[in-house]
Amino acid sequence: MRTVLLGMLLLAAQAVWAAETGTALKAETLRAKPFADAKAVASLAAGAKVSILKKDGGWLQVKSGKSTGWVRMLSIRKGEARKAGSDTAGLLNLASGRAGTGKVVATTGVRGLNEEELKAAKFDEKEVEKAESYATSGADAQRFASQGKLKTRQFDYLPQP
Amino acid sequence: MNTIKRAGWLLLGSMLWNAAYALDLGQDLRKALQEQVQKKAEERPGAAANVLSGLVGVSQENEIAIGRQIAGNLLGASPLVKDAKLQKYVNNVGRWVAAQSERPELPWHFGVIESNDINAFAAPGGYIFVTRGLYAQLQNEAELAGVLAHEIGHVIRQHHLKILQQSSLMELGSQALAKGVGDNEKAQKLIGSGAEVAARSLDKKAEFEADRIAVVLATRAGYDAFAFPEVLQQIGHVSKDDDRVSLLFKTHPHPDERLEKLSDAMGGRFDQIKGQSLQKRFYVLPKR
Repeated sequence: MRTVLLGMLLLAAQAVWAAETGTALKAETLRAKPFADAKAVASLAAGAKVSILKKDGGWLQVKSGKSTGWVRMLSIRKGEARKAGSDTAGLLNLASGRAGTGKVVATTGVRGLNEEELKAAKFDEKEVEKAESYATSGADAQRFASQGKLKTRQFDYLPQP
Repeated sequence: MNTIKRAGWLLLGSMLWNAAYALDLGQDLRKALQEQVQKKAEERPGAAANVLSGLVGVSQENEIAIGRQIAGNLLGASPLVKDAKLQKYVNNVGRWVAAQSERPELPWHFGVIESNDINAFAAPGGYIFVTRGLYAQLQNEAELAGVLAHEIGHVIRQHHLKILQQSSLMELGSQALAKGVGDNEKAQKLIGSGAEVAARSLDKKAEFEADRIAVVLATRAGYDAFAFPEVLQQIGHVSKDDDRVSLLFKTHPHPDERLEKLSDAMGGRFDQIKGQSLQKRFYVLPKR
């Protein structure tokens, strides 16, 4: 009995874990299909929380409250909103007794490149030559693209909105 | 933005960078510099306009020499990841994407450097580097193509070169370079200290422009246009307290802001396009 209960709890936990959530970056319309001219089924307020169900090209199928529909991927920020995220982190820290100890584990032992290091950097001729030795010719790039069945298409640069 | 103000901003940027202690300049000094620069720009508006339109442009040969120097400095701080297959793969993808730009003939070079940071660097003339930390975040070839395409955007629009051109050292540097292209010492004089210029803050507008170029070049090359925004989503999840993104977040607008701007620019233009993500071919970094 206990094992079954534990199993159920684990399953429940997994289900919660699997549902990817997001936040609407702006007010949007939920549509019946992943097309701009598909029937509108509901509207989504900026900042609304959604669960992400499916992806198709640049579109996501999401559930918000009782409505389900398709919305452009770029209108949704995956994960919790930034503010909410840090609040959650705060709660977690509190729960694990880490509150007030400053930075969280994720950063421990990870050292980044900083401006001082970059400024102090000394030219390394051998390493540049090595980098240059890996260069790909235009013809080789073409072959590489064909192997991956990559097809070029015309597409104009985007104007500044 | 009016021309003079913009010239002032750029000039200020390069003066800050010329000063060895650029980043710690106090507010007062900053203000004094700004006023001085604006006054100069107002006295000689013609000169400012010249600079902006790139009339004092550098030859492609010099552009490459400058970029090579910056690349060598960057590699001096963070060497290449010792993995020939990885380096070759990144050059294949990068060169294919660059071939879709208006400067396919540049001697493009790409590399992955040994750093846990999440960042990428571009130097003039087509030297582009991605950190191991950023590479490890990528899920497929289209995402790599998008990241490289953003940096290619900086190179083809000469964003870093334009900043260098504003510097007072530029004149001196051009004179020096005229006597012998590729001479390390002379190129070094021109770019100042180390490789900091490759990581320095560009105008926010330049970053948004490179983002727009990234999705277009990836699309032209046959990749999924939405792979690059996916990377921005990923990076947006890394806590800003994480050291791995401190330099990136300091020199770029927050990924959320970039996504919002990119979303507005892309609109519905990519709705009908189905590009490839090539997850199977993606070279996964062996675990260390």
